[in-house]
Amino acid sequence: MTVQFKPAETFRDTFTYRKSPEDILRFPFPFPEDEYMYSVNIEPHVRGGPTAAFQAAFDIDEHYIAECRERERVLKEDPKRCQVLPHMMAAEWDSLELIMESLAQDYPEHFSLTKAGDLWTWVNRPLNIHQSFTFGKAETLPCGPFEYITRQAQGDFTLQDQRDDNLFVDGGMVTTQADWSLEFDIGMSFHEWHGPVPLAHEKGVFDRALKYLLRLQCGQPVRRLNWTMTVNPRLDTSPENYPVWGPDKASVTPDNVAEKVHLRVELQTLYRLPRSNAILFGIRCYLTSVADIARVPKWRRRLHRVLRDLHPDIAAYKGLPRFRQTVLDYLAPLDDGEPTSKGIAPDTDVLAG
Amino acid sequence: MSDQGIKSRPRYHPIAPDPQGRHHLLVVDGPDVPVEALAEGVTPSAFEVWTVARKSAVPASPAMDEQAGAVRVFRAVPHLFSALEERLARETMGLRLYAAGTEPFLWDAYGIGARAGLSPQEMAFAHVGTQARRIFCVHCRTVMEGVTTSITTCAGCGAPLFVRDHFSRRLAAFMAVQIDAEVPGEVPQAEELYS
Repeated sequence: MTVQFKPAETFRDTFTYRKSPEDILRFPFPFPEDEYMYSVNIEPHVRGGPTAAFQAAFDIDEHYIAECRERERVLKEDPKRCQVLPHMMAAEWDSLELIMESLAQDYPEHFSLTKAGDLWTWVNRPLNIHQSFTFGKAETLPCGPFEYITRQAQGDFTLQDQRDDNLFVDGGMVTTQADWSLEFDIGMSFHEWHGPVPLAHEKGVFDRALKYLLRLQCGQPVRRLNWTMTVNPRLDTSPENYPVWGPDKASVTPDNVAEKVHLRVELQTLYRLPRSNAILFGIRCYLTSVADIARVPKWRRRLHRVLRDLHPDIAAYKGLPRFRQTVLDYLAPLDDGEPTSKGIAPDTDVLAG
Repeated sequence: MSDQGIKSRPRYHPIAPDPQGRHHLLVVDGPDVPVEALAEGVTPSAFEVWTVARKSAVPASPAMDEQAGAVRVFRAVPHLFSALEERLARETMGLRLYAAGTEPFLWDAYGIGARAGLSPQEMAFAHVGTQARRIFCVHCRTVMEGVTTSITTCAGCGAPLFVRDHFSRRLAAFMAVQIDAEVPGEVPQAEELYS
């Protein structure tokens, strides 16, 4: 089915972002069980999965045009949201190639890539872009190859260089982040940039994840889901702009909680890149309001149970304490106590309400 | 509150010359090599030592005695760092760089070493002296020196900032985040933590 783009919707100020029923059902709901704890929840990133969000290498949905416009706006305000250290140029071209080839393969109605030797032509119909360039020659593109292609994709991306048996976050396009700063973290090692996460270090999660990722093979990408909650459908919840969006957190009331509070899910994908041996890390952000989640019986039961029993350190790290109880008060009467099936699939084709 | 358990915070060890190194250069944020900066049994004579007098009336010392046991005195930290950049630019394989002093001094030295092509394994650091922090306001990018309290006011944007344990080696600074962003004016009492 051809997706209907909604180019005018906004992720700040007026917050006109809304989800169609199809878009709600394709949401990558992040909880496979009724309780949540950090784990190395990594699986192969193969096309096909419990919801339609897993059908492509790089998922495009009805918010594509609006999200690219929001990214453009953030970059105008703060160009340093996209930075790549100079030694990562090969990884930049690797990323451009991977994303262009994947989008053209998964969405031939929207994107096409033709190659005549090193002379490539890229067509992006939703954004009305037609670009010929020479692969490997940065001066033939309007900006660096990594910035060029990630301006045309949904979600954030970082580039990890692999050296000294470690991964270093040596580049990124970060405009839709859950409260971390590329400007502060760029150049950090794996354990450094995960430094602020509670509990997981002690559980050995990062040691095991790093070992796993150091062995990541080209052509065998992997994925995991991560989550937090955001008040209003705001993509740019950066530390830089925390003084701007922080007051949202104190604005939740029993009357507005269902529409205002959003479950924020990151579909994180990791690709080994062929020339540079770097890793491209995609952090694709999905926002769904508590009201929309409540339209899927399994999801509303499970979200209630996960939030109710969440470890207080995790709740604090994710910034939930100020509105968590209000969300629970809304969800509790909607949880009939019935058992839920394993996995994240919605188990329905129609929405309630 | 003083140790938030965040893992980007560097850990330091007393310095001993790396047996794989050919030449050992120790830069010190003060007039003398602090005893506690060196591992047990190690003496300053194992290093070429650069110190900072914090005095203008220091004769410019010649860059000739580039050998263990030599001591070269600089007027101030920027004076030393400027010479360090020049020195590392003409060094060859086998040099090891060591630094002893305050945290901003150590990571500024690290940055100079890294830009000159030294790998992290070719450098070692001992933290001595004040625990005061250099902080980076994540909102306006102002850098402030010598912060000793859990909360301080940003000199750039006026935000009351909470000093996190999250440390960037590249910026040689701790991250600082507005503490009352959610409810303006809700600012806890600052604690003296890093003196």
